[in-house]
Amino acid sequence: MMYTMKPRARDRLLRLLENPPKGSRIAAAKEFGVDLTLNVRKLGLTPTERMEEMQSFQSFLEALRQAIQEQAR
Amino acid sequence: MTNIRSALQALREAGAEFVVIGAVAAVARGSSQSTQDLDICYERSPKSLQGLASALQPYHPRLRDAPDESKFVLDARTLAGGMNFTLTTDLGDLDLMGEVAGVGQYAEVSAGASVVDLFGQKCAVASLDVLIRSKRAAGRPKDLLMLPELEALRELERTRKAKK
Repeated sequence: MMYTMKPRARDRLLRLLENPPKGSRIAAAKEFGVDLTLNVRKLGLTPTERMEEMQSFQSFLEALRQAIQEQAR
Repeated sequence: MTNIRSALQALREAGAEFVVIGAVAAVARGSSQSTQDLDICYERSPKSLQGLASALQPYHPRLRDAPDESKFVLDARTLAGGMNFTLTTDLGDLDLMGEVAGVGQYAEVSAGASVVDLFGQKCAVASLDVLIRSKRAAGRPKDLLMLPELEALRELERTRKAKK
């Protein structure tokens, strides 16, 4: 996959996540338990790559589900 | 799991006018959520309805929530007579929304949308503002759970644009 975000831009976003302004949505999401480092990584991918990553993960889950079902038989 | 690539290709090639919404739009905008289906908000002009119907007919669309599937025929007339359709097709599950709660119809949903390349197709993807409003209006626990992430993503996007 091609990582399109420049390292400086990514670092700026990661620094923002470390110290989000009080009352910001980023601070609220962190408090809620959202791992926003995943989002920063995804923002560096193209939209198609983001979709492919999701579908690839789902395929893995489906294969895992099937394997568990077969083992249970 | 929906074959998003093939579904988008079929819709685009048939000339349907639509905006990608829901979790697929959220993922395209950087969300780390996952989803099994594709949701679109479609334009309700006769040409677009015809395009939508002809795109989906080869994939045997059926209503997911109807007990008797055999009576359902997806054509432009059916689409014009209804609004929101939850379908299952040979490509997977597909929700066609003529109207999105908290936002409106195609004109409102497409406002602020970005045209992005998705699997080689130029597709309109709803803005984070629209996604947030629709999730808030839907109000189900699974929608509300997405709000903190989407709102944070919107801030990240603004920060990224402001510093470019």
